[in-house]
Amino acid sequence: MYRLALNMLFGDRAKLAMLLCGLAFSALLMAQQTSVFFGIMSWTYTPVYNIRAPIWVSDPMVEQANDAKPMRDTDLYRVRSVDGVAWAAPLHTSFLQARMQDGNFKLITMVGIDADTFAGAPAVLSQGHIEDLRLPNTVIVDEWGAQLMGRVTKGADGKEVVIPLKVGDTFEVNDLEARIVGICKVRRAFTGGPFVYTTYDRTKQYTLGARRTLSFMLVEPQAGVDPVKLCARIEADTGLKAWTSDTVIWSWSDRSLARNTFWWFWKNTGIPFSFGTAVALGLFVGIAVSGQTFYSFVLENLKYFAAIKAMGAGMGVIARMLLVQAFTAGLLGFGLGVGMAQAIGRAMIEKGMPPFIMFPQIFWATLALVLGISLVSAIIGIIKVSRVDAATVFRG
Amino acid sequence: MSTHAAQPVAVRTHGVDMFFGDGETKVNALKQADFEANRGELIMLVGPSGCGKTTLLSVIAGTLTPQTGTVEVFGQRLDGLSQEELTTFRRKHLGFVFQSFNLIPTLSVLENVMVPLLIQGASHDVAVAKARAMLEKVGLKGREYGQPNALSGGQQQRVAIARALVHEPSLLICDEPTSALDKDTGAQIMQMVRDLSRSPERCVVVVTHDHRIFRFADRIAEMEDGRIRRVVEDASLLDTNHL
Ligand SMILES: Nc1ncnc2c1ncn2[C@@H]1O[C@H](COP(=O)(O)OP(=O)(O)O)[C@@H](O)[C@H]1O
Ligand SMILES: [Mg+2]
Repeated sequence: MYRLALNMLFGDRAKLAMLLCGLAFSALLMAQQTSVFFGIMSWTYTPVYNIRAPIWVSDPMVEQANDAKPMRDTDLYRVRSVDGVAWAAPLHTSFLQARMQDGNFKLITMVGIDADTFAGAPAVLSQGHIEDLRLPNTVIVDEWGAQLMGRVTKGADGKEVVIPLKVGDTFEVNDLEARIVGICKVRRAFTGGPFVYTTYDRTKQYTLGARRTLSFMLVEPQAGVDPVKLCARIEADTGLKAWTSDTVIWSWSDRSLARNTFWWFWKNTGIPFSFGTAVALGLFVGIAVSGQTFYSFVLENLKYFAAIKAMGAGMGVIARMLLVQAFTAGLLGFGLGVGMAQAIGRAMIEKGMPPFIMFPQIFWATLALVLGISLVSAIIGIIKVSRVDAATVFRG
Repeated sequence: MSTHAAQPVAVRTHGVDMFFGDGETKVNALKQADFEANRGELIMLVGPSGCGKTTLLSVIAGTLTPQTGTVEVFGQRLDGLSQEELTTFRRKHLGFVFQSFNLIPTLSVLENVMVPLLIQGASHDVAVAKARAMLEKVGLKGREYGQPNALSGGQQQRVAIARALVHEPSLLICDEPTSALDKDTGAQIMQMVRDLSRSPERCVVVVTHDHRIFRFADRIAEMEDGRIRRVVEDASLLDTNHL
C-alpha cells in the first residue's frame, strides 16, 4: 500500500512540484537565513579565530574578545611565572583612524603582536613576509583593508575602479608613517575596521604613548598541561581572567572566549531579534505554503481515501499512507531547499559577502522543521480523512 | 460460512430505521425497511430519487449503521459491530462499483485493481498477478499501465468491476453503475457483472434508475419512501413511469 501511496504522490507532477516548492522554500529560508545569521555572528569572535593562541588572558572585567581593558605590562611577568606556562606574549588591539595618501580617514583595527615570537600573527600572507614587521614603521594589512583603503580612480570606460593597497604603499596613523610590508588573509570582524598588524612595541607610538597597551596576553601551556586547568591556575595566581580559544560556540564551556563573545553579542544587541523576526516571518510563509499545498493534496484525494476506506482499509493503514506521502515530500523538499541554500551560500562566499556558516545544527534543525511541517500536514490530513464517512463514496 | 450454505438468504435487513440529522432537519431515510437477497442472485433496487436506495445499500455494505433493526450478510450480523469490525468485514466480503467509478487518477489501471488485495495484506507480486488476471477477464489486457483517465467511461467502469471482484468478495454492491454510460456500454457492463458474479457463494445488489438494464436482474425490489414496496421478477410488472 505504501508503494501505491508514493505513486499517488508522484502521479500528479504539477501538485508534487507545488508541494516541493513550498517545502523547499521553507527549508531554504530556514537554512539560508540562519546560516547567514550565524556567519555574521561568527564575525564577533573573529579575533579568537585569527589570532590562534591556545590561551587568552585578559583583565578580569573583560566579557568578550572585542572588549579591551588594558592591563599593566608587568602583568605579563606575573603570568609568565605561573606554573605550566611555556610562554606568554603581549597583544594590543585598538580602533584607530588611518589617514590615506589622498587625505581620507578610514577606521582600522590595529593589532600589535610580539616582535620576538610573532604570536598572534596572521596565518596566511598573500604578499610580503612577516619578518619585515621588524623593520621600522611597518604594518601588514588584510586583504579587505587593502581593498577598502585602496585608491579610487576612473577606469578607461569611465567606471570607478579601486586600486588596492600593495606592499610598499604608505598611510599615516596619528601622523606616524605606516609602510605596508605584507597583505594577509584573515577573517573579517564584526566591529571595527580592517586589521592592520604591527609590532606590540610600535603600538605605543601609533597610540601616542597610551599608558597601557596590553589588551590581551597570549599563552602557550607547557607540553602535557591541560589548557583548561592552566586557565584556572592563571586566574588563581594572578587575579586576571584566562580563556580557552576553542571556537565551538555550542559547547557549554565557560572558558571559551569565542563562545562568551558570541553569546555576549546575542544578549546585548538587537541582531538576533531582528534576524529572528525575519526568519520567523519567512518560516511562517513557508509553513503556510507547504501546509496548504499538502492539505489541498489531501482534499483532492479525499474522495479516493474515502473509497479506500469503504473498501476496508483501516485508519491505521490510511494514516501510514499519508505519513509516507508527507515525509517523502518533506525529505525531498528538505534536500532541495538545503541544496539551494548551499549553492547560494557558495556563490555568496565567492563574492565575499556575507559570511555563510551552515552548522550541522542548522542542517538538523532545518530537517526537524521540515519533517515537523510534514507531520503536522499529515496529521491534519489524517484527521480530515478519519472524519470522512465511508458512506460518502456512494454520493456523487 | 459453509454452515450457512444451505440457507439461501445472502442479505437480510429487518425493521431498519435510518435517520439523518435531527430537529427541524431530521430526515427519515429508511422506515422499517425489510429487504432480502438470495445467494447467487442479482437483485436490483429501484425507486424514485430520494426514496432511500443509496441509504439501504450503505447499510447493507456496512458503511452506515442504522438506528434500529437487524442487518445480516452471509450469516454475519452487522448491527452491533464496531467500526473496526465493520471495516474488517468490508475488506473481506465486499466489492464496490460506484456511479462515478472512483478510480484513483494518479495510479495506473493495474495499481487501482491491486488496491483491495493490498488492503487485505497481499504481497505486491501476488497482487500484481491477480490484478493482471482480473483485467484480462474484463477485456483490458494491454491497458494495465495506462492511466484510468485515458480510458473511455465503459473501460473505466470495467476497471472498477475488476477492482470490485479481484479479491473474490461474496457481496458485490453497485450504485448506479451504468448511469454515466451509454445504452450499449451499460448493457455490456451489466452482462459482465452478471457473468462474473454468477455463483452460489455470491450475491449482487445493484441500485439503479436505468430501466434499460432491468432485464439483467433476477429480481427487482421497488422502493418507496424509505421502505421496500414490492419485489417482482419481471421488469414489465414495474410501473416504469413511476421511476
Ligand atoms: N448524509 C445525509 N444527511 C442527510 N440526509 C441524507 C443523507 N443521506 C441521505 N439523506 C436523505 O435521505 C433520503 C434518502 O436518500 P438516498 O438514500 O440517497 O436516496 P436515493 O439513493 O434513493 O436517491 C433523502 O431524502 C436524502 O436527502
Ligand atoms: Mg442514490
